Amino acid sequence: MRSNSKVFRPLGMLALVAALALVAGGCGGSGKKSSSGGSNGNSGKTYPLLRLAFDAPDYMDPGLYYTVAAYQATNYVWTGLMGYKHLPGAAGAELVPYLAESMPTISADGMNLKFKLRANLKYSNGAEVKASDFRYTIERDFKIDSPGVGFFSSIKGVSGDKGFAATKKGHISGIITDDAARTIEVQLDHPEGDILYIFALEFAHFVPAGTPASDQSTHPIPATGPYMLQSYTPNRSFTLVRNPNYNNQIPTMPSGNPDKVVGKIVTDPVASYQQVVNDQADYDYNQVPNDRLPEAQSKYKDQLRIYTNANTWYYYLNNRIPPFNNLKARQAVNYAIDRQAIVSGPFGGLGRPTQNFLPPGYPQYKKITDYTFDIAKAKQLVKESGTAGATVDVYGTNEEPAKGSIEYLAGQLTKIGYKPKLHLLAHGVYFQTIGNQATKAQAGHTDWYQDYPHPLDWFDVLLNGNRITETHNNNPGNVNVKSVDAEIEALKKITELTPAVNARWAKVDRDLMFTYATTVPYLNRSSTDFFSAKMDMSCYMFSVVLYWDWGVSCQK
Amino acid sequence: MATGSTTDFTLDSAAELAAEEHGAIEGKSPWLLAWRRLRRNYLALSFLLLFVAIVVICALAPVYSTHVAHTGPNEGHLGETFTRDGKQVQIVSKGGFVNGVFVAGGIPVGPQLWHAGGRYVFGSDNQGRDVAVRLLYGGINSLKVGIGSAVICTLLAVVFALLAGYYGGWVDWVISRFFDLIWAFPVLLLAIALGTALSINGFHHFGINLDAGSLWIPTLVISYVLIPYVGRPLRGQILSLREKEFIEAATAQGAGPFRVMFTELTPNIASSVLVFFTLIIANNILTEAGLSFLGAGVQPPNASWGTLIADGQDRIVTAPWLAIIPGIAIVLTVLSLNVFGDGLRDALDPRAKVRLEH
Repeated sequence: MRSNSKVFRPLGMLALVAALALVAGGCGGSGKKSSSGGSNGNSGKTYPLLRLAFDAPDYMDPGLYYTVAAYQATNYVWTGLMGYKHLPGAAGAELVPYLAESMPTISADGMNLKFKLRANLKYSNGAEVKASDFRYTIERDFKIDSPGVGFFSSIKGVSGDKGFAATKKGHISGIITDDAARTIEVQLDHPEGDILYIFALEFAHFVPAGTPASDQSTHPIPATGPYMLQSYTPNRSFTLVRNPNYNNQIPTMPSGNPDKVVGKIVTDPVASYQQVVNDQADYDYNQVPNDRLPEAQSKYKDQLRIYTNANTWYYYLNNRIPPFNNLKARQAVNYAIDRQAIVSGPFGGLGRPTQNFLPPGYPQYKKITDYTFDIAKAKQLVKESGTAGATVDVYGTNEEPAKGSIEYLAGQLTKIGYKPKLHLLAHGVYFQTIGNQATKAQAGHTDWYQDYPHPLDWFDVLLNGNRITETHNNNPGNVNVKSVDAEIEALKKITELTPAVNARWAKVDRDLMFTYATTVPYLNRSSTDFFSAKMDMSCYMFSVVLYWDWGVSCQK
Repeated sequence: MATGSTTDFTLDSAAELAAEEHGAIEGKSPWLLAWRRLRRNYLALSFLLLFVAIVVICALAPVYSTHVAHTGPNEGHLGETFTRDGKQVQIVSKGGFVNGVFVAGGIPVGPQLWHAGGRYVFGSDNQGRDVAVRLLYGGINSLKVGIGSAVICTLLAVVFALLAGYYGGWVDWVISRFFDLIWAFPVLLLAIALGTALSINGFHHFGINLDAGSLWIPTLVISYVLIPYVGRPLRGQILSLREKEFIEAATAQGAGPFRVMFTELTPNIASSVLVFFTLIIANNILTEAGLSFLGAGVQPPNASWGTLIADGQDRIVTAPWLAIIPGIAIVLTVLSLNVFGDGLRDALDPRAKVRLEH
């Protein structure tokens, strides 16, 4: 998931996570029983109003939104069969049943999952939550061209010429529901280790059957969680209030402390920071501007929190066309990048240098440290590659810190003997531009925030040569190492992430980043949470999945 | 010649005037008269001198870059140090996590004046680039765009005004509607729209190939959007002039349209054109700064005074010089051109001065 002004949504990072994922993955076991407790000890400390200075959500419709802003704002509104524990640290990446009564029963081959809904579930409008709503929700995603439909491609009856994805008619044959028995059976074409994580995504959050197959952002969809969306005015504000029909129907998640949440859309980070300083807002969603960080650190130290979630910022090098179809040319760029300097400069210190594609915290992560910043060596490699003097079209966005980072790349390319031509585009058109092969972008900036904590979300989505497309290409570097592609395909079928499998994923990381130098990862970005003096920071909880968990916040 | 009538005006003979003037009367051209007036306007001349000084200083950018600052305008020095008073100074402060504790970084070094042997005289930006070097190169770009667009804009405006004013009729109608079309958009918005669109992939049509980063793009965009602002008043003057007797006389003597336009009409609007040209350079420099500030003008990594201000705005608290120094450069340049332009107008058209003074 790509970054927006702050970050796009991740789902977790951490060590235990993948181990949990496996289980989930339907690795042949019978279902797990429900874990208790989705909350920490801050539940019950209710207060009347939480004021947020927030970034603009892309949509307020669970079938459509794909930004952190929308996710963070509404993770107490719409819910799915599965969800995450509301706990800090790695525990927060653990899946628990939300609308499902318990973890599903999974067949031995991992291709059949059976869920049962909790009894007496209701939407915020009082209507009953039915098993068939799940199927409707997924089918609606296809009808509204949801950005999440790709996640459901392994469900039987979705793919192929006559699949639901193509026809959008009838029903998805792989989802069998029984409203009376409250059961949902999902049949897959092949085992998929991350399927339960997919069912925790917003695209699988229940909406009532009959919800129009169009953007309902300004016509709030009835909620299943503790809160409901009362109103949303795009680019202005949104208001959440308690769901009058909630009745603690999801015991695995907190009921929420604030009675009302008012989010004002303030996209300028300086303005949102100032609103919190002036006590006009309780929380600044945006990144505290680099310019104001020293002040925030010294003057408002207790109100500032800094975290690093699962993300990687990297430069792609187009492996398909000169000069970067040459290994030595790619190695040269890797040696020419002073990763710590980028952290210090454009990012104001908010980042951790990396040479890995996978972020730290994954059990598959094995730190790569081979590239020591060495301009002389980089120049030598360029010379040996025979590509010196080549013109390089370098693409980036015109927003900081990406702009500063790409200017740095252009500068370093000049230093090692290339002639970079910089193209800075607006964020809104950037990814579709570089994702189009016709652009012939030779190098550029990109970043990725995980959708869910599994190496597939990184290597398969971003660097598998078998998934290169002509447009909307998620692999703008056209990384296509046949031996590694084959390994990714093989690993895709393995649902249990054992240490041996993790070691294979680590080798994929090393092969792509070092042996073939396909890409130039340079940092894992850190972010800020900034609060007004009114907030009781003892209740602060950061979850790798939910970010700042506002539901368990409290005030002094 | 005396007519003998008491009510008629009389014109003194040259000899009589010469007697009054205690010497021979010399014919003086309007340009000479204007220069006599201008050279008495010390304020205007001072600001002309200031503008010339700015141009000369900017033109010396390569010399300064090579022999004083020892770095290029787009050469970043992130992670590097320089020597000041025998000590190593970080060009951009280090930041990150030290033993798990966050340390804010990225603060560029401030103006060193001459304490660092000519390096970072005006400090560094957040890429570790020398602000003084970028200021000078940025000045070259700003002046190139400002003056270049003023030349193109003025030339086109004169041609359109001559055609519309001389021919009238449908030619005038078409050209006037063209002016209206451009004028219908707020000038800066139109420039932003064009500049943004062209800055993505450049312009590659009709055999013209302009890369996205080409200075020609902001130059042509600014020229285009400002044509009516010069063309309309000139057209008005031409409409008035073409009714004068000297045009009738030229036509009666067999002068063709182009001869009338370029040898009779053009000299009569030359003073206005000169004043417009001077003033529009200042205006264009401001427009360029605005466009570049918004990302629709000069494209990074190339500098202009507008991009330098844009780069500095994110560091206005911790590194205010980044925005203030190019801001001062713009103010001085525009002020010098405006004051000189006013002086020039007063010199070329004394009646305007009278009106202004009233």
